[in-house]
Amino acid sequence: MENNETERRELRVAFIGNPNCGKTTLFNAYTGANLKVANWPGVTVEKKEGSYKFQGQEFKLIDLPGIYSLTSYTMEERVSRMCILSDEVDVIVDVADASALERNLYLTLQLIELGKPVVMALNMMDIVEERGMEIDLHRMQEMLGIPVIPVSARKKTGLEQLMHAVLHHRDASARHRIEHHHKVGENAQLHAEYALVYSDGIEEEIARLENVFEDRYPDMTNRRWHAIKYLENDSDVMGEFPVESFDPESFESRMINEKYDFIEEVIAEVLVNRDEKSAMTDRIDRVLTHRIWGVPVFLGIMALVFALTFTVGDWLKGYFEAALEVFSDGVSGLLSAVGAGELITSLLVDGIIAGVGGILTFLPNIVILFIALAVLEDSGYMSRVAYVMDGLMGKIGLSGRAFIPMLLGFGCTVPAVMASRALEDKRDRLRTMFVTPFMSCSARLPVYVLLSQMFFGKWAGIAAFSMYVIGLFMAILVALIVSKCSKKYEEHTLLIELPEYKTPNPHTIFIYVWDKVKDYLTKAGTTIFLASIVLWFLLNFNQHGLVSDMGESFAAGIAKFLVPVMKPTGLGYWQIIVALISGIAAKEVVVSSMSVLYGVANISSAEGMAALSGALGSVGFTAVNAYAMMIFVLLYIPCVATLATIKRESGSVKFMLGTMAMQLLTAWIMSALVFNIASLIF
Amino acid sequence: MTLQSMEIGQTADVQSISLAHDTSRRLEMLGLTGGTEIKLLNKKKNGAVIVKVRGTRFAFGREIARGIEVETENGK
Repeated sequence: MENNETERRELRVAFIGNPNCGKTTLFNAYTGANLKVANWPGVTVEKKEGSYKFQGQEFKLIDLPGIYSLTSYTMEERVSRMCILSDEVDVIVDVADASALERNLYLTLQLIELGKPVVMALNMMDIVEERGMEIDLHRMQEMLGIPVIPVSARKKTGLEQLMHAVLHHRDASARHRIEHHHKVGENAQLHAEYALVYSDGIEEEIARLENVFEDRYPDMTNRRWHAIKYLENDSDVMGEFPVESFDPESFESRMINEKYDFIEEVIAEVLVNRDEKSAMTDRIDRVLTHRIWGVPVFLGIMALVFALTFTVGDWLKGYFEAALEVFSDGVSGLLSAVGAGELITSLLVDGIIAGVGGILTFLPNIVILFIALAVLEDSGYMSRVAYVMDGLMGKIGLSGRAFIPMLLGFGCTVPAVMASRALEDKRDRLRTMFVTPFMSCSARLPVYVLLSQMFFGKWAGIAAFSMYVIGLFMAILVALIVSKCSKKYEEHTLLIELPEYKTPNPHTIFIYVWDKVKDYLTKAGTTIFLASIVLWFLLNFNQHGLVSDMGESFAAGIAKFLVPVMKPTGLGYWQIIVALISGIAAKEVVVSSMSVLYGVANISSAEGMAALSGALGSVGFTAVNAYAMMIFVLLYIPCVATLATIKRESGSVKFMLGTMAMQLLTAWIMSALVFNIASLIF
Repeated sequence: MTLQSMEIGQTADVQSISLAHDTSRRLEMLGLTGGTEIKLLNKKKNGAVIVKVRGTRFAFGREIARGIEVETENGK
């Protein structure tokens, strides 16, 4: 270990803490937007890494998922524990919320037991001071035996002190002296060495197991921790280090109680002017979680979010379109000036610029939607939604918590499907994943905006908004059917922390939104770029070479097969079918394909739309067909990225194919229904 | 009595938890150990509750609220 440390120049620091303790804000304060996001090997728990430099020392910072304890009940806990125990981490930074110190100390005690160097970053000290409380940091360090550094992630104070402490406590042996005021005599040796000493009965068991381990597993580091985990009947540790002579009695409940007894001792000694007010949050909750007003208030907030997305977003979109038009004309002009061939011009202007550029003009709508979602999450409102919606979700056989992934689905289905893993029951998880794709994601937005602006005039906003309502309604309906069809009624139960409300942090929101925008731009540059080229090729060529009429191309040939199938839905046009099929790559591609198909360079501008609606109108594609198409796009097969995520999260190809088939069928039935009923009326 | 039958604004002590093993341990880890003070902040018709324990608010569904036995100050 020592040798490795001198060879390795960078110091590896893991950030760990309870959910809502401000850990990510603190992590972002060090790394900025400059971070690497990946998944932990084999699981879909997010892994964030960033780098930081201080006093000539390189730091590699790892942000672990927010957890309450280090047991192995959930995937997040297991991942965090494995990471901390591995050689991958030199120092643990335990981020604790000073305003909820009592509960946060539970994880701290578990981290200290691991035996690695731990430094506590005591966050939100400003809130504590505002409430007139004081924390005796000096006494806390003495009782816990680890350095405690007050920080404010939001105001960016204490950041250097924290890294300074990390640098100087990277060696586990350089620990603080522990001083307790315990009754003299009992276990004096243990009290000098460990912050938390259990009752005699448990300490005897720990000592006995430590002896067993010493004989059987001489290489085991930190025997005390392994012994403690054994007494908690931790399945991971018991599986890895089997011991025959162990009587599997669990002391877990007793040990949890003893940890809290010790925490109460600490709190009694370090917390001055303990205050229970936090009146602000209670006042806000009186309205937002009101038994009658809670649901209407939530619906109002969502209506506001979408109103902003459509009004402000569309206004900004105008500028993007103007810029695209200038660019597109410039490129055409340039190409003809240098005498480029017609084929190259067509590929660049009709294929790539029309496809990719058309998608980029929708960026303002998407940015606003993601800002709104980030604000809901960072302010602390998101978890209230779980409580508010618990009644309705209970009726469809899910816990209120399942509503959070569904709500995130308005942003992007991929992280939404991943968020379903916060649900503890596997069947709950599968059901949530099954219906989440119905929640209309931001990639479908361009399709609605385009079609509704072309066909619904001043009702465009309402037509587009109705998609979100229909999507939510279908998700609820399908969940209800699944719940009625499953064999027995299971009890689903909600368990979620409701953090204190706070003003959303602009930096946190910026990083969240920038991350999504980057994804969107990357997708425009890769998936959509490639899809546009492939589509351009398939539309301009057939087995005999270049075609003059797209109706004779490869793509048309394939799509024409499906025309009879799609006829009842009002979408029996080969061009529309090509657009829909290519939309499986990414939903925005439906729009970019339409521009390629109809050769409209700037599809979302007024002239572009006039050209497109003219072309569509001439073949009898009217507002009714457009609405049926919006519904079909809302409900049909999700994009490839979503399918891959569903497969990975459920661990079953069959489940993924089932989801796909169900959605395709639902889309067909619903759009056929709407098309035929609407055709009778209008 | 159970958490569910408490009234909004009332304070009580946690007596015992009779729920599935994992759920019980999880609640204990969150600080709902024997004798802990618990305050009911809100409840809904469907039985979900909001409580405050050790300075933190939690929302519990009906099944959890039913499984937590509490004792109020006047000894009920």
